[in-house]
Amino acid sequence: MADIPLDPRAIRLDCVAKDRDDAIRQCGETLVAVGAAAEPYIAAMLERERTLSTYVGEGVAIPHGTVKAKEVVHRDAVCVLRFPGGVDWDGEQVSLCVGIAAKGDGHVRLLAELAEILMDPDAAEALRETADEAEVLRLLLEGTE
Amino acid sequence: MAGIESAAVKKIVIACDAGMGSSVMLASTLRKQLKGNGIEVVHSPVDQIPGDADVVVTHAGLAARARKSTPEGAVLIPFQVFIGDPAVTKLVNTIKNGGVVGG
Repeated sequence: MADIPLDPRAIRLDCVAKDRDDAIRQCGETLVAVGAAAEPYIAAMLERERTLSTYVGEGVAIPHGTVKAKEVVHRDAVCVLRFPGGVDWDGEQVSLCVGIAAKGDGHVRLLAELAEILMDPDAAEALRETADEAEVLRLLLEGTE
Repeated sequence: MAGIESAAVKKIVIACDAGMGSSVMLASTLRKQLKGNGIEVVHSPVDQIPGDADVVVTHAGLAARARKSTPEGAVLIPFQVFIGDPAVTKLVNTIKNGGVVGG
């Protein structure tokens, strides 16, 4: 699996955010830090969130940029940031963010796996609760079977 | 919007703002649920809905924009939540069991 779009350096399981925008900014900074996108992508993520929430259910949000911001994406990548203390997300409680930078389809398989996990409340809880980075990788790349 | 016979549905488009996040997730879910029904499920930006779409599924917050680029004769189905929305469940059941989509 040489082309995994989830860099181990982009998994941070002990984050603290003061609010939604702070959490999104941290996701963006992580994606920029691993070389997936340029700095302006962070502002695009905030802009996208104001248009429409990226909350997807089960305490998980998937912040990402706008169509236009694909110009500043270097490669398809995701990051996983866990906020054990929770983040108020327009009234929803978010404890896990899967941030996305994409201009192609490199991240699709991982998102499909995430969708599977979120449809299974037990698996979703396992993903939200684990403080083990290897377990996060395993859940997202291999699924729950 | 008159609705469309489930048997006539060949292509479902999930329309999203960037076609990068939530629509990708929903498309993969629908593709799996409708496997074997001979229906193509794709995702696209909300302003670039393919002309051969039969059913367009989009978040309620994007419905107004999606309506502008939804092809004539296609059915637009707005939903509220990405995982387990009743409107999406209804669509899947109608296609599996027969009936009129969006009727």
